[in-house]
Amino acid sequence: MNVAEAVVLSTEPAYENAFVTWFASEALARRREPGQFVMVHCSSEGCDPFFARPFSYHRVDGDRFALLYTVVGRGTAWLARRQPGDRVRMYGPLGRGIRLPRDRANILLVGGGVGIAPLVDLAETAVSRGHQVVAMMGARTSAALLPPGAWPKEVEYVTVTEDGSAGLRGLVTEHVGAYLDWATKLYACGPAPMFAALADVLRGNSRRMRPEILMEERMPCGWGMCYGCAIFTRRGVKLCCKDGPRFPLFDVF
Amino acid sequence: MTASGTFSWGFEFAEHFDIEALGAIVTKGVTPRPRAGNPQPRTAETPLGMLNSIGLQNVGIERVIEEFAPRWAAWRVPVIVNLAPDRVEDFGTMARMLDGVPGIAALELNISCPNVDTGGMEIGQDPEAAAAATRAAVRNTDLPVIVKLTPNVTDPVPVAKACEEAGAAAICAINTVLGVAIDIERRRPVIPRGRAGLSGPAIKPIALRFVWDVAQAVRIPVIGCGGIRTGEDAVEFLMAGASAVQVGTATFANPRAPLDVLEGLKRWMESHGVQDVREIIGAALPKGEA
Repeated sequence: MNVAEAVVLSTEPAYENAFVTWFASEALARRREPGQFVMVHCSSEGCDPFFARPFSYHRVDGDRFALLYTVVGRGTAWLARRQPGDRVRMYGPLGRGIRLPRDRANILLVGGGVGIAPLVDLAETAVSRGHQVVAMMGARTSAALLPPGAWPKEVEYVTVTEDGSAGLRGLVTEHVGAYLDWATKLYACGPAPMFAALADVLRGNSRRMRPEILMEERMPCGWGMCYGCAIFTRRGVKLCCKDGPRFPLFDVF
Repeated sequence: MTASGTFSWGFEFAEHFDIEALGAIVTKGVTPRPRAGNPQPRTAETPLGMLNSIGLQNVGIERVIEEFAPRWAAWRVPVIVNLAPDRVEDFGTMARMLDGVPGIAALELNISCPNVDTGGMEIGQDPEAAAAATRAAVRNTDLPVIVKLTPNVTDPVPVAKACEEAGAAAICAINTVLGVAIDIERRRPVIPRGRAGLSGPAIKPIALRFVWDVAQAVRIPVIGCGGIRTGEDAVEFLMAGASAVQVGTATFANPRAPLDVLEGLKRWMESHGVQDVREIIGAALPKGEA
């Protein structure tokens, strides 16, 4: 973990009320693993809001990194208003990220909502190591989907919308089955109901994939000090920030 | 020093920073048996602070002795173990178990946790029970015994005096202040138990008032705790009569907070010509009372 100030490079709308902000900071960008996160202070100075907020690494390029976030409160609204050259206080990288398989794998990524954020970094890393990647993203409607251009060109991007306005209709977990014969490894990030549905789909014959998920929980500190982000697993109580955010799906659901 | 429940067992901090720079560390509350803690949500951010209801999640005293104490023994920084059993007599049992264990410098009795069903704060609200808990610990160990008070009383002096008479080496003030946050969309409390413990800069004036009151009533040292995040905050507590301070919730927001407070205090002393911290302890108290 490094405590550092990152310099804002750019902020672009990603979809609906989601933004991608690029930052420069060698201390925060280097040596992160996909799935790790960074705690961001969403205030210029002082301590209001008091706590930093956790954000997954969305993309990393050398000493630069991007965060994808939806504006849900005053912290994220503040972040979206930053201008190039502004400095933002952060600490990271934090948590246990994804360790990709050593042998070439067919990797299925399943994302729901803003849970897609870390899967892009994971996809870029996986592609660069020669893995085959299919990324499935579920959203309420077409306007809430990450555009295809956000993914590396080698990735097959499958979209699912609840209203059928783009891609397949329904929930992403209803369409995962079509890829299970192909996939040898699965990673997912999204809301708890998506994980529960995914566990139901995979419980039968796909345990061999040892599906792993990236979880989130209210996280005041992000580095194992406050015990606020407890996740109750089959292997006991774990901390999302320190023991996770990567967990085996079947340890939790 | 660091405040209980905000520093885990010290290992995370030691991995990233110089833990030997600190005066002492205080561990998370330990119970006789492991505790899983409370369900989610456990925390709620509030203006300049937070409500918590962690529920004393910890591995239990046996694993603390077997696994953690040997690692603490390799450190020079004194480690103070916070004890949080739910029965008065268990303070004695636990103090005996920790007596003589290498790596443990002192005990802090948590008679002030608001987030458990039995024991905790109830003991700290009753001078007789607080004295009984203190006596039980003091009789079973040669380690210094610090008693951490709850602010959820009208007057902390009777409890503080009772603990002093029962043999406490120091008083720590304060634990969290009871509070409630409401989720107005769901029309229910944010924390399932309803009541939870408020900490952070929001409670600093309350903590100062308790230090102020207790420092004038007891002869043993008082350790100030509550909302400290800068060197100047520490100076305030020292001037209110504290002999030492604990940094707690600030560490969640700023991993370097305990070091920043220490460095800020040193800078303040240098810029104000203060050579020794003892020069300012109780400096703001009414004359003749410090």
